Parts: sequence; C-alpha cells; structure tokens
Amino acid sequence: MSENQSRSPGPPSAQVFHILLSLVDDDLHGYAIIQDVAARTDGEVRLTASTLYAAMKRLLESGWIEERTTRPAGAADDPRRRYYRLTKAGREVARAEARRLEQLAAMARAKRLLPPLGVVNAKGSRA
Amino acid sequence: MIDYRLTSVLRAYRAALGILLPADFHRRFAHQMIAVFAEVEADARSTRGALGAVAALAAELPGLARLAIRERRAERTRRAHLPQNPPRSGNVLDSFVQDIRFAARSLRRSPAFTLVAVLTLALGIGANTAIFSVVDGVLLRPLPLRHPEQLVAFGEQALSVPGAISVTSPANLFDWRRSSHTMQVAGFADRSGTVVAHGEPQLLVGTQSIGGLMPLLGVPPLFGRLLVDADEDPASPPVIVLSYGTWRDLFGEDRGALGKSITMDGTPRAIVGVMPPDFSFFGGPSAFYVPARFDAEFRENRDQYFIQPVGRLVKGATIEQVRAEMETIAARLRHDWPVFNTNLKIVVQPLQETIVGGSRTQLMVLMGAVAFVLLITCANLGNLLLARASGRRREIAVRQALGAGHGRVARQLLTERLLLAFIGGALGLVVGKLFLDLLLAAQATTNLPRADEIALDRRVLGFAFALSTAAGLLFGSVPAWQLSRGPSSDALRDGSRGSSSHQWTRSALVVAEVALAMVLLTGAGLLLRSFDLLQRVDPGVRREQLLTFSVRLPKQDPTFFPRAVERIRALPGVRSAALVSQLPVTGRGIGAWFNRIDRPLPAGVNPVGEAYRVVTPDFFETMGIALQKGRRLETTDTRETPVVVVNEALVKKYYHGEEPLGKPIYLGAPDNRLFRQGQIVGVVSDTRDAGLGSDALPTVYIPLAVMPTWPAFFFVVRTRQDPASIVGAARAAIRELNATLPVRNVQTMDEVLSEAVAPARWSTTLLGVFAGVALVIAVLGVFGVLSYIVTQRTRELGIRIALGATPRQLRRMVVGRGLGLVLTGIVFGLAGAAVLTRFMASLLFGVTATDPVTFIGVAALLAAAAVIASYLPARRATRVDPILALRAE
Repeated sequence: MSENQSRSPGPPSAQVFHILLSLVDDDLHGYAIIQDVAARTDGEVRLTASTLYAAMKRLLESGWIEERTTRPAGAADDPRRRYYRLTKAGREVARAEARRLEQLAAMARAKRLLPPLGVVNAKGSRA
Repeated sequence: MIDYRLTSVLRAYRAALGILLPADFHRRFAHQMIAVFAEVEADARSTRGALGAVAALAAELPGLARLAIRERRAERTRRAHLPQNPPRSGNVLDSFVQDIRFAARSLRRSPAFTLVAVLTLALGIGANTAIFSVVDGVLLRPLPLRHPEQLVAFGEQALSVPGAISVTSPANLFDWRRSSHTMQVAGFADRSGTVVAHGEPQLLVGTQSIGGLMPLLGVPPLFGRLLVDADEDPASPPVIVLSYGTWRDLFGEDRGALGKSITMDGTPRAIVGVMPPDFSFFGGPSAFYVPARFDAEFRENRDQYFIQPVGRLVKGATIEQVRAEMETIAARLRHDWPVFNTNLKIVVQPLQETIVGGSRTQLMVLMGAVAFVLLITCANLGNLLLARASGRRREIAVRQALGAGHGRVARQLLTERLLLAFIGGALGLVVGKLFLDLLLAAQATTNLPRADEIALDRRVLGFAFALSTAAGLLFGSVPAWQLSRGPSSDALRDGSRGSSSHQWTRSALVVAEVALAMVLLTGAGLLLRSFDLLQRVDPGVRREQLLTFSVRLPKQDPTFFPRAVERIRALPGVRSAALVSQLPVTGRGIGAWFNRIDRPLPAGVNPVGEAYRVVTPDFFETMGIALQKGRRLETTDTRETPVVVVNEALVKKYYHGEEPLGKPIYLGAPDNRLFRQGQIVGVVSDTRDAGLGSDALPTVYIPLAVMPTWPAFFFVVRTRQDPASIVGAARAAIRELNATLPVRNVQTMDEVLSEAVAPARWSTTLLGVFAGVALVIAVLGVFGVLSYIVTQRTRELGIRIALGATPRQLRRMVVGRGLGLVLTGIVFGLAGAAVLTRFMASLLFGVTATDPVTFIGVAALLAAAAVIASYLPARRATRVDPILALRAE
C-alpha cells in the first residue's frame, strides 16, 4: 500500500516510479501507461484506472509530469485521450530514485546479497 | 476501437466514481478515468467476454476505495484547515469505509466460504433478475403508447372462452365509432402481403388500420407521417407505413425510402412513414401498416368478423362509463339487427390486460418460484454464517472487550453480509443476463406477448440492487444480532460450545428451507405430471414422416393449388400429399355459423360458429386421421354437388343419437353462405386443434373443389424417408409454378406438435430447474446443520461411545435428528403447497392442484434426500474417538 503523501520529500512509491519510467522516452496517455508498465514488468505491476489517477494527481501536483496541450504526431485517435509528459523536475526525481536504487543494490552486492554485476539479468530481483 | 459503447460495467464504474470520489477530484479526473477504464474493459471483454469485463471492474474497486478514502480525507483536512486528522468516532462515512475494508479483509480470509456464498447468491439473484425482466417487460411496464392507461380493448364476448373478446364486423365497428361518446374507436386486423426483396419473395405480416388506428395509439412516426382517416378512402392513392425493422431490411435505413413506392401483392404503395424501433402495440411485431380501404357496401357488412376494436377513453371518462355505454349500444343493436346480434354482449377491458392477461399466471408462478429459491438461498447462507460465527466468537469477544459497542459490532457484521450480498448481486446480474438470453431463446416458440420489450435495463438493475440489499439484510441480520448479543466473557474462555440458541436457530432455518423446497417441488411436480399427461394425449394425427409448409397466393388463381399438390405428390420419396387451410393442432382457425337445414333454429336464436377447414380429398389419409363412418372426400365431389366430412365432436354436439350421414347443412349467414347446401358424407376422428390440452372442437371439412378460391394452404406431405430430405425438391416444385411465391413455415409434423406443447415445456422446465436448485440447497442445509450438531456434540458422543453405545444406535440418533427436521419441514411445506398450488390450477392439465400422488411423491423424495444427507454426519458420529473427545476439554 503506497499511502505516502504527495509533497513529502521521501522516495517515490514503486507505482509512481514506474509511471515516471514509462514517460521517460515517450509522452503517453493513461491507458498506454498502464500497458507500458504491465509490459515492462511482465504483468507484475498492474495499474488500474483508479491507482493510476491516484498517482497522476500527486505527480501533477508535484510538478513532475504535465499534461500536453498539443497532441503527439500520429495521435489521430480519440480526443478523450490526454497525453502526459515528464517535466524536468520529474526526470530529476526519476533519475535520483534510480540512483538511490542503484546505490542500494550496490550495497547489497557488497554484502554478497546479490551476485556481482554482469551476472544479473534485467529483472534483477526475479533471479 | 476506442469509441466505447456505454456497457453496464462501464456505467457501474461511472456510478462508483460519482458516489465515491470527492467533487474536486471527480471534476478533474473522472472523465479520464472512465476513458481509461473503457479501454481496459474493452480489452478484457474482447479476450475473456462479459466475465472479463466484470473482473476488470472488480479489480478497480480496491484501488478506487483507497483513492476515495485518501482524497476525501485530504479534502476534509484542507477545508477544515486543521493540521491533524479530525476525530474518527464522529464520522459516519469514515467508520463505514473502515467497516467495508474490514469486511473485505475478513471475506478474503475465508475464500471457500466467500466463494460458495457469492455463487449461490449470484444464482438466486440472477434467476430473480432474469424472471423479473420478463415479468417487468410483459406485465408491469405500461404499453409503449401515448397514455396507455386510456386504451381499452373491447368487442363481443367470445362464445368459446367466457370473458375473452372476439373480433367484430365492419358495420359493428363503425356503429360503435359513431355512437360512443366515452371513447374514440378504431380497429385493426392482421394483414399479410408479399413483397420481392433482395431477389426473393417475402411474406410480411403486418396490420391493417381501420378508422384511424394510428392517431388513436398516439405514437409519432420516426419520420414521415402516420396513416390517417383520409387514407382509408378507396379513391385515395394506396399508401403504406413501414415498421423500423422492415425499413432497415428493405432499405438499409435509407431515409430516401420516404415517397418511394413498394409493390405489395402486385399493387404499388407509396411509403409515407416509418415507425420508431420500439413501436409495438398489440404485444408483437408488425412489419407494416396499411389503411383499410372498405367501399361503402363493405362498411355495412355484418357477417365478416375479423376486426379487433380498440378504444381510447375521452378525457374524464372511466372504464365503467364505457361499459355502461356499450351495454346501451349493444341493447340497441340487438333490437335493430336481431338476425346478427341476438346474443350480443360487449366486453370492455384495459388494452394491456387483453394483451398480457393470458400469460399472467404462468409468469407469476415463475416469479414466486424464483423468490422461493432466493429465500432458500438466504436461509442457507444464514446457516453458513452461523456456523462461521461460532468460529468468530472469540474475535468478536476480543473486540467487545476492547470497547466496541454492541451496535458497532452488529453493524460491522452486517456490513460484511451486505458486501457479500452486493458482490453476489453484481455477479447475479451477469448470471441473470445469461439466463435471460437463454429464456428468450427458448421462448421464441412460446408466444409470450411483448417478448420484444423484455430487457435488462435500469429498472431491472434497480430491482437487482434492492433484492441484494434485502437478501443481505435477511441472511445477515440473524447471525449479526445473535453474535453481538452473546456474552463476551464466555467466549474468551477455551472450549466453549455453540449456545443452544444457535442450534435452535439453525434447525429452524433448515425447517424453513425444507418447507420452501417442498412447496417448489410440489409445484414443479404438478407441472411435470401435467406435461407428461399432455404429451401422452393422442393428437389425432400420425406425426411420423410428415412434412408441412404453407403457401399463400396474393391473387386468386383457382388452378394453382391443385396443380401444386399434384407436382408435390409426383416427387420421388413422397407417399401422398394434400392441402389443408390450417394445420391440425395449431388452433381453431376460421369458423362460420353452422346451420342444420333439416332442423332450422327458431327465429331470433343465432346459430353458433364452428370451425371449418378446406382440404383436398387425400387429406385424411395423408394426416392419418381415421374415418369412423361413411366415406372420405373424393375427387368427384365438386362445387355443383357439395358434400362435407365432419368430425366426431361435431356429431356429438349436433347429432347426438342421430344418424349424421346424409344430413344437409350450410355454413355462414342465411344470405351469405360459404356454399348453398351440402350433405354430410363421412365422419372422421377428432384432432386436438385448440391445443393438446383442450377438448376437440366441432369441425367441418370442406373439399377444395367447393371453395376453389381459398387463398392460402398448408401442404402436408407424407414421405417414405426423412421428411427433411424433400424440402429442397418441394421448394423447387413451387418455384417452377410461380417464382414469386414464398414457401413458409417449413416444419415436420413432429416439430409442429412439439411447438404445441412449447409453452408448457417452457414453464415446466423452468420450474423444474428452480425446484432442483431448491432441493440441492435444502439438502446441503440439512447436511450442514447435522455436521454442525455432530461437531458440537463430540464430547457427548464420546461419552456415549465410552458407555457402550453401538455405531448403529449413534447413526440412528443422527439420522433421526435429520429426519425429524425434514419431516417438520415437510409438514409446513405440505400446508404451504396446499394453499399455493391453487394459484397454478389454470396451468395444470389432467391433475388437480392438490394431486395426492404428487404431494406424497415429493414428500418421499425429500425424506429420502434427508436420509442421504444425514448419512455422512452420522458415520462421522460413529467414528468419534472417545478418548480424544474427552481429552479435548
């Protein structure tokens, strides 16, 4: 359960981090984010419309993402779709979080909790 | 693809957002959430069907609940400008949400129980939802016409069925129209017509509007105009109004159809309007509407009965006033036209009653049956919950000890039951939809009126919701109340047993279940016996290897049918072929006054109309109708020397103890006879034309040669092998003679007879299924309560075994207890059944509503089921280890 309040400075929740990750290289609409997260995590993280927008509200209020006023090229689909973009601040937060995770992983590795780098596959924890 | 339809799942999600989310958040995100969920739902639906869609909705709910709680709390904090959380106790919604979360957790902890409870509830609520959809669409909902409560059906009382309304003649209709001051009067008649569409001739069944029917009904057209009085002038150009379905089929919904002309039976008619899709006024679909164009002479006709009158009360008039007025008019008609109107009595009824009255009993019995099933389900769930409750006494005692009030605990438990009920209800909607689809597919042949108006709509959803709430309160209240009341200190101690009041409640619930099941089983048993007897009725025809189909000529051609039947007879594989104006067992068909020339009625007494059928000479042999006396019809019987064959029912009614052969008769009014006079040359055995459950009707068989211009016939073809194998050849033979004639109603006689019992089969099957479910649930209930008792009494059983009780004695004790419960239930059930089955008397055939065989049989069945259900717990009782049982203290 990710009940941490939006403006608290602590690390973003796993869901929030996944949403940020989805927006790193592409501006997406809501359903595309759900699909991207599901595809990237092999279905392990499944957002619903409710969990997605619970996070989106906090992301918008923190200024980490913003709604696009224009539609991306080739998005000649449904006008009800809203597209979201990662802001500079959002990218920073995501990067900071990634770094934090990396450092954590490095510490774990130093303690031999994880095998040395290079052996691990992309989904590290799922060995 | 994203252009989503608003499915019911989507609607439910939207409603949930509206209820749960605080206003700010809703305004900002709800439409996006709905758009996203629409895609999730569409995906789930396309891969896993309707269940997938429901699962997607279910997956949304926990997240949505969390979101709602957090956002509401945040909003409240913001509004109050308070840094800390508001006090918990004062907030109803908060503790409610807490209750729900707690309930959800508690249900998740016992998945097996939750699954059983939800599934049985879904079945119960689903069955209720489906049957309610039918009852609502057919009986409850007002007819889809303007001010339907003002509409009445009226007409002469039918002689055959007291209280039923008969059709009338043009002159009568126009008399009534002129003389009535309490209502506007119009009429309609069935009218069929052949059109050529997509290269194939098609016979459409429509409606003839007489005296301005459409304005009276008051439903505006989709576009174009309605038929008006002026269209009924024979000098006006012929016009037609199409139903929505016909417009779609013939013109692909092209509005350019307006003003075009359509050729029906060779006459071009200008299309002046199209009716909206939901327009239906006499309980069934009509493909088109054409104005009657009676000439002055036909408007005065008093002996052609084919018009069904309809009236609309004028403002302020009541149906009693109409009845009084029609009685005055009838009295005048009796006086003015004694030849035609001696027995005239006019019946006035609300239109809706006329349309649906006939199916009321059947539907109400079904509704009662599903209500019983739900009650049994609730009783059973109450029992399950009580059993579970014993296990939860400690948990609850702890909560009470920590300061939760009785009310709070009871509310918490009730919330849990309600949550269960709503999950069951939501799934019940899915079950109900599937069930309704099955029902509608099966009822296609049962002639249920207004079937096209049946839908799972908002009203039905409301009903399902109310039902779930009621069910939740019903099965939830007893255990909740019992638990929260119990003394908490006892439960905290180890080794406490369920209180005796629990046992009493559980036994009472089982008795109730058995009693309800007994009533249902009796009803189903009675229907089953009726149906069995009905199927054993000899229809009077040989059903094997007999193909039937019908052809209707748009224009008179006296040579067509004799030539056609010759061709069919010549086909390979055909033993014999004949024509009949209406198939046996499919209804009374047309009738005419029956007159004995050798014994004229006294002046002022009207003859009675009797059924007649026009046939070719081979008809009786082809159908397998036995000749009882005299001779069959011959090809030598012609219009110049008319002869007829009658059935035994007619002989019994008119020639009781006399010799019918050689007696002269005629059919029709003195000045308007079907043929001048004819001799009875033969008597054949009866066929059950009014339905297998009805007595045979007196019938006159007239040779085709006597009535050569009859426009429509059924072909009956006796084949050497499978009758289906000659369908193609028969169609081809008709097409060779006339390529524009549609061949319709292609059926074997087996199918025709099976359709004749379809309504009875429908209600019998349904009630049988419901009763079967009730039986299973009741037996499970008996099993459950006995197992519980055995568990509760383990110590006692241990002592008994230690003291030397034999397994046999123990078994007898437990089975005896089970039998005791069931017998008590059976006694109550018998009393209930004796009272309630009376209401289904009109659905029964050959058995009385208190048929002792059925009552005893059902009671024996239940008792036997009880013994079986008791056996497992009884066996367990004998295996109690006395040492373990005593040490457990």
